[in-house]
Amino acid sequence: MPSHDSLDRKMDDLKPSKSDINWVIMDYLVSEGYPGAAENFARETNLCSPIEIESIRDRVRVQTAIHAGQIAEAIDLINEMDAEILDTNHVLHFHLLQLQLIEIIRGVLANGQGRSVEFRPAIEFATAQLAPRAPTDPVYQTALERTMALMIFPPEKMVPEFKELLDVKLREKVATKVNRAILESRGERPEAKIRQLVRARAWAEAESRDAKVDLPPTFDIGLDGPEMHNGNDGDVMVL
Amino acid sequence: MTSRDYSFSPPTEPNTATYRRQSYANVTAGINTPTQQESDLNAMSSAGTGEQESVPSTAGHSRHHSRAMDIDDREAQRKNIKDKETRDPYATKTYVDDHLPFFTPSYLRHSRHVQRLHRAYEERLTQAREEALLHPHKEPSLSTSSSNVNLSKMHASHIHRPAVQDVIERLPLATADDQSHPLPSRWSEEDKMNGLDILADGTEIRFVGVTKTSDEAASTRTDHPMPKECGLYYFEVTILSKHKDGLIGIGFSSKKANLNRLPGWENDSWAYHGDDGYSFACTASGKSYGPKFSSNDTIGCGVNFRTGTAFFTKNGVYLGEAFKGIKTDRLFPSVGIKKPGEHLRVNFGRTPFIFDIDRLMAHERQVIMRQIGEFDVSKLHPPDDENTLIHKLVGQYLAHEGYVETAQAFAQDLHDQRQSLAANTQSSSLPKSEDDIHAIKRQKIRKSILDGDIDKALKYASTYYPNTLEEDVNKDVYFRLKCRKFIEMIRRLSEFNTATSSPTALTKSIDSLASNGFESDAQMELDDQLQREASTSAELLPADDVDMDISQELPPKSSFMKETKLLDDVLAYGRKLKHEFGSDPRQHVKKQLDDTLAIIAYPNPSESPLASMLDPQGRVQIAEEINRAILVSLGKPASAALEKMCAQTQVLLDETARKTGNASAFVNVSNDFLRP
Repeated sequence: MPSHDSLDRKMDDLKPSKSDINWVIMDYLVSEGYPGAAENFARETNLCSPIEIESIRDRVRVQTAIHAGQIAEAIDLINEMDAEILDTNHVLHFHLLQLQLIEIIRGVLANGQGRSVEFRPAIEFATAQLAPRAPTDPVYQTALERTMALMIFPPEKMVPEFKELLDVKLREKVATKVNRAILESRGERPEAKIRQLVRARAWAEAESRDAKVDLPPTFDIGLDGPEMHNGNDGDVMVL
Repeated sequence: MTSRDYSFSPPTEPNTATYRRQSYANVTAGINTPTQQESDLNAMSSAGTGEQESVPSTAGHSRHHSRAMDIDDREAQRKNIKDKETRDPYATKTYVDDHLPFFTPSYLRHSRHVQRLHRAYEERLTQAREEALLHPHKEPSLSTSSSNVNLSKMHASHIHRPAVQDVIERLPLATADDQSHPLPSRWSEEDKMNGLDILADGTEIRFVGVTKTSDEAASTRTDHPMPKECGLYYFEVTILSKHKDGLIGIGFSSKKANLNRLPGWENDSWAYHGDDGYSFACTASGKSYGPKFSSNDTIGCGVNFRTGTAFFTKNGVYLGEAFKGIKTDRLFPSVGIKKPGEHLRVNFGRTPFIFDIDRLMAHERQVIMRQIGEFDVSKLHPPDDENTLIHKLVGQYLAHEGYVETAQAFAQDLHDQRQSLAANTQSSSLPKSEDDIHAIKRQKIRKSILDGDIDKALKYASTYYPNTLEEDVNKDVYFRLKCRKFIEMIRRLSEFNTATSSPTALTKSIDSLASNGFESDAQMELDDQLQREASTSAELLPADDVDMDISQELPPKSSFMKETKLLDDVLAYGRKLKHEFGSDPRQHVKKQLDDTLAIIAYPNPSESPLASMLDPQGRVQIAEEINRAILVSLGKPASAALEKMCAQTQVLLDETARKTGNASAFVNVSNDFLRP
């Protein structure tokens, strides 16, 4: 297929420079909080790093606390950094409190005998912290209702959309939102550029296929390397 | 005139800059000074469009003269360089064009397409420069008496018309048409109705004919169609003079539209008319659209290829969407007038627009970026979600490039993250695979190069990968590495010279000199040591403690002796280099060898025209080349998935933009994703 060969040739001409890629990597490590890697990367690439590793570590501490389900601790850490973050971002504050309620319920579901009295701290927390916010926005109200339902249904009978709340992925999501809010509060770009780059790759392919540009049926991103393929007979064999 | 239009031009001397402003002022004021403008026009049109114009005789003479000046200048420079090297031969007025034909309209500065056109233009310019340097003596010399006579009569500006420009005029402009899709730059002399005068470098038209019937008019189109690859195209027309019963149409059309009527009335033409403020889309019956316009008004016309719509502006005010469903290929900006004395001036973006098109463009790009931001990536590498995919891309890049410690730290950071989530309990230790061992070796080679210690790098390379640099495909890499060694020696020599004036720095300097770049006894020992290790132990990794710094124990000698020795070493190595590669017939090898060796002529290389060769950035580049060579020799892909992905994205965008001019045209990988 000659036209696809020419695509390959064009791609060779369009290789980004290493310093551009190194910038993307550093941007990612700093933005998403990989302090160890960022420090090493600055050294190994001879990039003089203008970044303050300590400021990454601050954010990582918050992230780690959220990942571990220590929401109260995370809220304290955020407020230590900049009390305005949660004061001005009510949605984010609500998400954190909702997660905190979920963590309390999770604890009961995991360790308790399922007696209703065990849920008392959860109910008290919901009444004190979340209920006053619920009327301000229907979204809050729905979220609160769903969370409370976790106490009523036994886990094995729960519908998927409720079960989602107990998935640890939710911690990751909230941690990401918090990280963005902190970055924004410091006047920094809230998201690492590599994310948009990856999306642009997927988007560009979809646009090309819509426009009926002549492309090979699959357009491998090259993550698996040639050693994953059996090059002798041209068959693609995944080991 | 804004600096960004010419931002790529080398610094000009003050007098040329002044002239540029003056001449531009003339153009903007609509003053018609034929001789001067004709020659400028030749420069612009031929280089920009590939049309060959007949050259007026005065301009011809001026060129001869300028070339003669050129030779003079170069000779003066050669002398200059011997004395004090401050002038870059390319940075002088001799090679600078007052009217660089290439310009980037401000709203298109992010456009991949325009950047590509610009690069192609610069390549032609470089080519022309080289040609001018290679054959300077072919041209008539200053002694031709007619030149002298003419010189005194000529406007001062002609003296600065460079030889380069003439060369460009004669260059075959193969790329100018079908493939490259240049921007419209002027009204066409061919694609116009009789009775229209094209003035001021093709930026003005004036009606000088007669019209018989009421619907007869005279229209013109531009030299090139609006390239879809820009996504959005915009130009402005100022009415310098309008007849009281005049009719003016401003818009765009394909080649199919007749030019003896106003654009808008004909098939395949769209326009906004001044007498009634109506918009016309391929028909003589218009629709009420905007206000009327007349003398001194500036009307803007924009076509959005993504949405297939067009709009107009009047004196900087947006008038709303005028047309939609525009799907025709190859549309040219077009204007039509019909009464004597009517006079229009167009701006294709060479100067700032009245309407804030930059903001509209920024908005357009924002919409698309938001669309991209919401795009789902799960199909790229199933079953990975965005986070997992990015972890893999980053991890693979770090391993591929041999950033071993970063890769390990990253894996550790990720592991910690998973631990705290308590979801995934994968083993925290990285598997020590064959790949890691290679990565560490590659890293050592890289580190040595980045530290400027080329000998150490060569030794590591020949020990770990004895055949790689000897392979034919890597001949050039090997050559560049050897050249780099020379440059590093020069660097140290000049650092040493600087250091001798400050005694504290001296010792350090001597130490580093002794350990780097010179064959000493200690280095020979190192050689042996590496050889021993290579032969006795199959496991090379502990070679970490190969003591590369033994030579630092050498006692410092007197600085004078040292300097002489250093200079001798540099010269000896230079001769060796010349001997080893001097017979290579390839042009780029010759050039690099000459450039490299030439640097010794400068007592203060870091301030010489060749200073860029000393830039530590050069280390990074050669380190990457070696890394790539080793990876390929190990049967690995030459580039990491992340790099490949960037290139893929840009190719996809380019191909789609070329085909449809849709949203892809608004995205530029390196501008949008690879920098803040």
